[in-house]
Amino acid sequence: MTETDRQGSRLLPWGALPTSAASLLRDLPVILAGMALLYGLLSLAHYWASPVGEQPVIDLRPSALPKYALFSVTRIALAYLLSLVVAVAYGYVAAHSTRAERVLIPLLDTLQSIPVLSFLPPVMVAMMALFPTRQLGIELGSILLILTGQVWNMTFSVYSSIKNVPREMREAAGIYRFSRWQELTQLELPSAAIGLVWNSMMSVAGAWFFLMACEMFALGNRDLRLPGLGSYLQTASNAGDTRAIAWGLAAMIVVIVLIDQLIWRPAIAWGEKFKLEQVEAVQTPRSAVLNLLRRSRVLNALERTAIDPAGERVTLYFARSRADGPPTRPKGANWTARAVAVAAVLLLAFAVVKMALVTASLSRSAMLGILTGAGATFLRVEATLLLAALWTVPVGVAVGLRPRLAAFLQPLAQIAASVPATALFPILLLFLIRAGGGLGIGSILLLLLGTQWYILFNVIAGASSIPADLKEACHVFGISGAQRWRKLFLPGIFPYLITGFVTASGGAWNASIVAEYFKFRGQTLSTVGLGAVISRATDNGDFPALLGATLVMAAMVVTFNRLVWRRLYVLASTRFRLEV
Amino acid sequence: MNQTMAERLHTAMAAARPDQATSVLQSLDPDDAAELFQSLPFEQQQSLFGEMPAGYAAVLAGIMPYYHTYVLLHSRPVEDLTAIVGEMNPDERRFFLDALPEEAWQHLMDELSGQHPVAEPEEAFVAVEPQGPPIIEARQVEKHFQRPDGGEIQVIAPTDLTISEGLVVAMLGPSGSGKSTLLRILTGLAQPSHGEVLWHGSPLNGLNPNVAIVFQSFALFPWLTVIENVEAALLARGMEQAERHSRALRTLASVGLKGFENAYPKELSGGMKQRVGFARALAVEPEILFMDEPFSALDVLTAETLRGELMELWLEKKMPTKSIFIVTHNIEEAVLLADRVIVLGRNPARIRADFKVPLGQPRDRNAAEFLVYVDYIYKLMTDPEREAGPLVATAPKPAVQALPHARPGGIAGLLELVADRGGKEDLYHVAEDLQMEVDDLLPIAEGARLLDFVKLQKGDLEITPAGQKFAEGDIGERKLLFRDAVLAHVPLLQQMHGALLKKSDRKMPLEFFRDIIDEHFSRDDAHSQIETALDWGRYGGLFDYDSERDNLIAQAEETPQA
Repeated sequence: MTETDRQGSRLLPWGALPTSAASLLRDLPVILAGMALLYGLLSLAHYWASPVGEQPVIDLRPSALPKYALFSVTRIALAYLLSLVVAVAYGYVAAHSTRAERVLIPLLDTLQSIPVLSFLPPVMVAMMALFPTRQLGIELGSILLILTGQVWNMTFSVYSSIKNVPREMREAAGIYRFSRWQELTQLELPSAAIGLVWNSMMSVAGAWFFLMACEMFALGNRDLRLPGLGSYLQTASNAGDTRAIAWGLAAMIVVIVLIDQLIWRPAIAWGEKFKLEQVEAVQTPRSAVLNLLRRSRVLNALERTAIDPAGERVTLYFARSRADGPPTRPKGANWTARAVAVAAVLLLAFAVVKMALVTASLSRSAMLGILTGAGATFLRVEATLLLAALWTVPVGVAVGLRPRLAAFLQPLAQIAASVPATALFPILLLFLIRAGGGLGIGSILLLLLGTQWYILFNVIAGASSIPADLKEACHVFGISGAQRWRKLFLPGIFPYLITGFVTASGGAWNASIVAEYFKFRGQTLSTVGLGAVISRATDNGDFPALLGATLVMAAMVVTFNRLVWRRLYVLASTRFRLEV
Repeated sequence: MNQTMAERLHTAMAAARPDQATSVLQSLDPDDAAELFQSLPFEQQQSLFGEMPAGYAAVLAGIMPYYHTYVLLHSRPVEDLTAIVGEMNPDERRFFLDALPEEAWQHLMDELSGQHPVAEPEEAFVAVEPQGPPIIEARQVEKHFQRPDGGEIQVIAPTDLTISEGLVVAMLGPSGSGKSTLLRILTGLAQPSHGEVLWHGSPLNGLNPNVAIVFQSFALFPWLTVIENVEAALLARGMEQAERHSRALRTLASVGLKGFENAYPKELSGGMKQRVGFARALAVEPEILFMDEPFSALDVLTAETLRGELMELWLEKKMPTKSIFIVTHNIEEAVLLADRVIVLGRNPARIRADFKVPLGQPRDRNAAEFLVYVDYIYKLMTDPEREAGPLVATAPKPAVQALPHARPGGIAGLLELVADRGGKEDLYHVAEDLQMEVDDLLPIAEGARLLDFVKLQKGDLEITPAGQKFAEGDIGERKLLFRDAVLAHVPLLQQMHGALLKKSDRKMPLEFFRDIIDEHFSRDDAHSQIETALDWGRYGGLFDYDSERDNLIAQAEETPQA
């Protein structure tokens, strides 16, 4: 920073604003984007405050799509921001208090495996009770639902980043007497940044998946809908309007690509500077949008005159309040923490008892339905994984071994993967019905649509990380064909394959709720399965069945994770780790 | 009585009456006199030693530690030196001369025979600053770690340690000896399990208020620029932006980082990164500058440059620091930098020696006086039983034999080298030849000694007949010799071998032995113990290890191949 710059910062903000037309032109995109954002928020607020009575009619004309896209994006954005706050707070507490950690981390692990869509009825009922007269209630409900789909992996990422801050860096912060605040902002959040960016991408991709379900659903006898891309696509598929489905899909892909280019690419490029490695990488991700933002004088002026000084004041405040007194904790805090803990435990106990009572009221036939459903869905999920592996392993290895092909195909595959499977269901169903297949087999295809990508990407990553000297060794010793697969490729990709399976398996269980029970052209298609039980219970407002089925699903996911995946994971990270 | 004698000695010294001081000493028992004499500030010792009659100087010279005697002798002219050595008690003289490392011995011999061009060493000496009041005082601090099964492992034995103004203190010790833990206790980053740390006389509550640490890994924040890294430490003290900025700029300039203010750490070389580490530490104007192996992540040349620059800042009082405390495993580095050296032993950590290095700065690595100290520390570190220097703490002995973390291949290499040199070599020469840090070399030497392939005496490695045979043998013979040596000298491996032979299926889970070892070592140490035991046992063909089933399998006795 030069001397004049620093003096400029003491003047009013517009003193630092650009004056020439050329620099104004450079700032134009930033200013326009700001205005668009403001308009979106205002129109959304206007709509939110509208009374709940009149159900919006979803307009299937393509011209309505921009508005719907804006609504959906705003919903996702708000849910994401909320997730961010929750993830940082939860992760921070879990990482800093050993006592809280012992409760919070297993809880996180369990919450992660509860299918998100099971949260739908209780969340919606609660929100509608909070705001009975305004659209805001359902709107908040849908945002909370999207949040429950996003927040867990982000929280986990924050937690493990904070836990894994290198010891000497943590000690440096200690010995130079950073306040808690400075430690958070200058050490912990920066170390968490990269993990958070990647997990945010995953979370938001997942949000599109759930958007389909939570923008339009039936709750008991009420048919609720929120204007957005999800409800547009559902309405279109209910009407069997192929043209509208195509338009809706196109709009969704455009939005997803735009978000990728305007938010995630810049975020990844920006995250580069938070890498912990001490050596400069040869190739670093770049983003034109990020450069534009960095060069924008409006943003720079804003940063210099408002954000930086504010941050400075806050940090100084914390530093001084710490420097004044000895760093002892007030005794009251301990008591409040204890009271909160006791309350939480009581609440939890109450919930468990309540749950037991509710599930006990299930009839035998309902129980049996849940259990057979669980068996069917289990088989379906495993069949899906097997099928996915059958095509993704050879293709993934073939792509991963050819770096140029991988560089070319990766972005295309990423776009394909980011289109939520739920949006593609209607199209697939059209084919299925024409081919005369039922949903029993069809749902496997639907699950495959949603989960194969996790495996494919991991296999590609694994194959491209096989060291060149091992490949050369195979070549020199004439190892080829099946033997090369057995000795090199399969062991080489094994850890990645397991990672892919774990993610895919969780995703498949969750997706079964939408895949096994589907409303299409005014009729309901369904098959035997746990997902179908949950969906039907939601539709009928059958709370005991919903709770029982959800518990069974969560239990199965957790058990399977513990018994199978975790062991394979340990095996992968010990025996099959490629290292020197 | 000693109290009054000490007073009388001090009075005599204050009055500049060396004759009186000498007679005070002469009135005492020689051992007490030597102790009293060494309690004087070094420059007073020097002047008094220079003035006293050769006969009495010879008495003291025979009693004091040899390195101390060696340095004091050189504060007198060569003809006095000859006279004093001549008048020493023959046994003590032989002992003294034997103890000297080769270079120092040669140097002394040349001087005594008058061949050596007489270089008056007086100018090389700079008076050591008198010790100021203590800044940090550790009283009986100890550290235990909880084992998973509930037991405790002592990593630091009760230790007293004082850091006073005006000195550079180096703490040396083998790796894993708890040096870093002790440093963290002194700074307040870690809490002692027992005992207390005093800061200017009052107990330390939480972090030490005014210290800084330079870390081995630099511990810079990669997302902050060089100047932001320095400013972060000042911001934490609540300093306003303008003042922070100018102080950071000043400090960066003083360590030669002008022009790099806005670089990110990853754009800098290792040496430049550590300069940032220094700048960040100096910017907060610490009373004591702590350094945790600050040069070990750097290459040799860079480390040398940085050491020189650090000493320049310190000696020319360009840093506001009252004392420097450096933890290192590099013996030469310690002797190069420190006014006072503390040597730690391990299992648990305890102070084995604590002595002054009264050499002037800058020090010459090849000077005989320098080598005397290097050699002395080598002897101390290679010989766990050796009686340590003047200020020894009584030390508990380790309960269980600890295997040094040495690979059989390393031991073989060392034996070949020593055999090549005619079967006997100074350890620090070996270190020099192999370009190895003492930290890497010591476990290997210790391993060879444990297996009775070499004898370690006074810092010399001497190969034994078994070692000689090993060095000359081919692979098959070496394995057999190794097997015999292991079974003869390593109880843990005897135990493992015996247990395996008693089983009918000749198999046993490693877990069983791991449990035994866990009782005596901390987790990391236990891990390296197991690793070494496996390595040695497999090399000696005692057993094989199936890592998948975590099983040890006894190997059939092999007959030597012709």
